[in-house]
Amino acid sequence: MADVEEGPSGSVSEPLDLVRLLLDEVVFVKLRGDRELKGRLYAYDSHMNLVLGDVVETIYVVDEEDEEEEDIKASPDIAFLLSHMLTFRIDYHQKI
Amino acid sequence: MEHLSIHDPPPPQPGGGPHPGGPQGPPPPPQAQQLPPQMFTTAAQLLDLTDKKLLLVLRDGRKLIGILRSWDQFANLVLQSTVERVFATVSNPKDPHPKGLYADQLHGIFLVRGENVLLLGEIDLDKDDDPPFGYEKAEFAVVKKLADEQKAAEKSKETRRIKKLATLGFEGENMGEILL
Amino acid sequence: MLFFSFFKTLIDHEVTVELKNDIQIRGTLKSVDQYLNIKLDDIHVVEEIKYPHLSSVKNVFIRGSVVRYVHLPAAAVDVPLLEDATRREAANQAGKGK
Repeated sequence: MADVEEGPSGSVSEPLDLVRLLLDEVVFVKLRGDRELKGRLYAYDSHMNLVLGDVVETIYVVDEEDEEEEDIKASPDIAFLLSHMLTFRIDYHQKI
Repeated sequence: MEHLSIHDPPPPQPGGGPHPGGPQGPPPPPQAQQLPPQMFTTAAQLLDLTDKKLLLVLRDGRKLIGILRSWDQFANLVLQSTVERVFATVSNPKDPHPKGLYADQLHGIFLVRGENVLLLGEIDLDKDDDPPFGYEKAEFAVVKKLADEQKAAEKSKETRRIKKLATLGFEGENMGEILL
Repeated sequence: MLFFSFFKTLIDHEVTVELKNDIQIRGTLKSVDQYLNIKLDDIHVVEEIKYPHLSSVKNVFIRGSVVRYVHLPAAAVDVPLLEDATRREAANQAGKGK
């Protein structure tokens, strides 16, 4: 409790405030679909649109042959290295 | 919302901005921040595409080609002389590169609800008559049948994949719908 | 509004938009709106042979809700400025919530 900073820029009163504390840190992001990212967090907004730098993207590839549900083999065998920055969104729907 | 319409005055000419009584110096270099705000509306983006021949890709993968006649801020669209174009590939064991087929079916006027729109592309009329690279025109019924088969196979594969990924704690990106 | 403003600073830069159906379209960013719908000019599709329907298309309007990533040129992004803008936006949002 005593550790929680006070003041307009330092208080933690909602979940996204924790994301603010991660700015300029390397973060791990789990996406919809089959993807995970690691990268440095440069920006986010209330929809959780993000800008990440020096990103490593992991795509999970499901083994085609293996039809049986119990026998799951999904290995993170593709690690996409993107030296560019990218933004992404977690399945965000337009609100009209 | 946007008050931009085809009747709105055009944005100010570059360099011709309001500088009443100012010296006639060289205009400042264009910067993104100085562009008129009405350029950055859905309406402004669609205005440029009005009365053009467009390719429309829908969320379910269908491709429509037609002339954009009307739209609103939700990207609901009215297309005239709409044609649906289907693509399929024919695999041949001898040939590593599968042959591509395409076909068109005329539909007429379409009103498309905005949420189903994936993208809209303006067709370059100079290239419009050339078939897509590696594809040739064929009978609609033939291509449609092939395309439906390929889509069904893809869908069942996708369903199995999503099921497996769910056990790893992943949720489907497209709610089980495949986008092509 | 942060990302809307951010994308406006990237107008006329080359970006690659990756859609949720895995198509990647490279082109010059020409416009963006409040939903982050994007207009690209002089496009070319990565893996063109897989997506023949875009072969005669020169510019596209992409609906924001179908975008997975936008790959940006690192040189076009002012990182300290962007982080500051994010903190300011977060403070604004917190102010609105009260």
